[in-house]
Amino acid sequence: MIDIQLTVNGKQYSLSIDEDKRLIDVLREDLGLTGVKEGCGEGECGACTVIMDGKTVNSCLVMGFQANGSNIVTIEGLEKDGSLDPVQQAFIDVGAVQCGFCIPGMILSVRALLDENPNPTEEEIREGISGNLCRCTGYNKIVEAVHLARRYENGA
Amino acid sequence: MIVHQCKTLEDVLYLLTQYENCKIIAGGTDIIIQMREKKISPEVLIDISKVEELRKIQENDRFIEIGSAVTFSDVVNSPVFEGKLHGFKKACRLVGSPQIRNRGTIGGNIVNGSPAADSIPPLLCLNSTLVFKSFRGVREVKLEDYFKYTDQIGIKKDEVLTAIRFRKPIGYLEFAKLGLRKALAISRISMAAMVHLDGDGRIRDIAVASGSLGKYPMRERKVEEYLLGKTLNKRTVEESLEVLRKSTDERLKGRSTYPYKRRAVERLFKEVLREVES
Repeated sequence: MIDIQLTVNGKQYSLSIDEDKRLIDVLREDLGLTGVKEGCGEGECGACTVIMDGKTVNSCLVMGFQANGSNIVTIEGLEKDGSLDPVQQAFIDVGAVQCGFCIPGMILSVRALLDENPNPTEEEIREGISGNLCRCTGYNKIVEAVHLARRYENGA
Repeated sequence: MIVHQCKTLEDVLYLLTQYENCKIIAGGTDIIIQMREKKISPEVLIDISKVEELRKIQENDRFIEIGSAVTFSDVVNSPVFEGKLHGFKKACRLVGSPQIRNRGTIGGNIVNGSPAADSIPPLLCLNSTLVFKSFRGVREVKLEDYFKYTDQIGIKKDEVLTAIRFRKPIGYLEFAKLGLRKALAISRISMAAMVHLDGDGRIRDIAVASGSLGKYPMRERKVEEYLLGKTLNKRTVEESLEVLRKSTDERLKGRSTYPYKRRAVERLFKEVLREVES
């Protein structure tokens, strides 16, 4: 076992973890954050996406001990004071969710994109979510939701 | 498994002398998959992803040095790779996905030695040098030689790749990639070219490198020899394409993917030459 310090969704944790656990295992098993989904386990699908120190990563491709000292945001951390993040709200309002498995990772990619670039073009949106596969929607509704989230956030 | 998260290069070099079956991990985007598939089972992991001195991009009047733990996203976001070095930035921008680019490193792309590693053909065109460090000292190796003679000069057990260094180019670097889709695509073919024309439009200096057209990414020396001193026009481009095909015939004939690659290479080759021309 190895001791690590993590900030997850604004809360500080001191954990003793198995050396061979990946970040996704730590988040799901040690912290119970099951909004982090495991799809392919090899960085192709993006279902396990979390925001680590401001940048999206596949949590299946980061070892738990490598995240020591990092600040992590998962889907559970987006809701503030009982209200959803504008990105979450936009996904619901547009109907951009079908089975939902890809959505936590998808929303975190969109969150990171809008944090970096509050006014992305259509192409930048598609590039921003290019690491998240969705097998249900065909992406159009998702892209529409990102446009709506952008409008919510810019107050227009 | 024993794991170490290092903060300094000195820690890394010391730990490398302490263990037999150990592996360096940076972005983890390749090694974690290899471990899970049980292709490798290291007893010790040494993490260099938070070693600041390996995360720097430095430049002076003549040289640029990229730390081995610099990520593809770092390259894409750096102002150092605008203009003439745009082809290197383009190659890094086409790697994997945003998530992979945020973790995957230039050093990892090199030492893992995939024939399809996107960042390597541009670095080959730049005549890059690799810097390895160990407690024994510093060793420098040409990137081109590194792949050719990996058995003799490949990374040693107690070494870490610390940086990739190249001279600022005079010519303009271009890059093109053929993948089966836009994102998350492993290159079927990649090409980079750097051309410097003299006042009369003749090629004064040229470097051409390919990915996935051999066992490892390589310079296309015969194409360079053919084009040196000539002007770029329809005829010389067609003829140099034939020179390229002759070389790849020798390397890839009999492979199931080759008939496709042999045709497809035309567009990439013309793309990198046309773009340097303009």
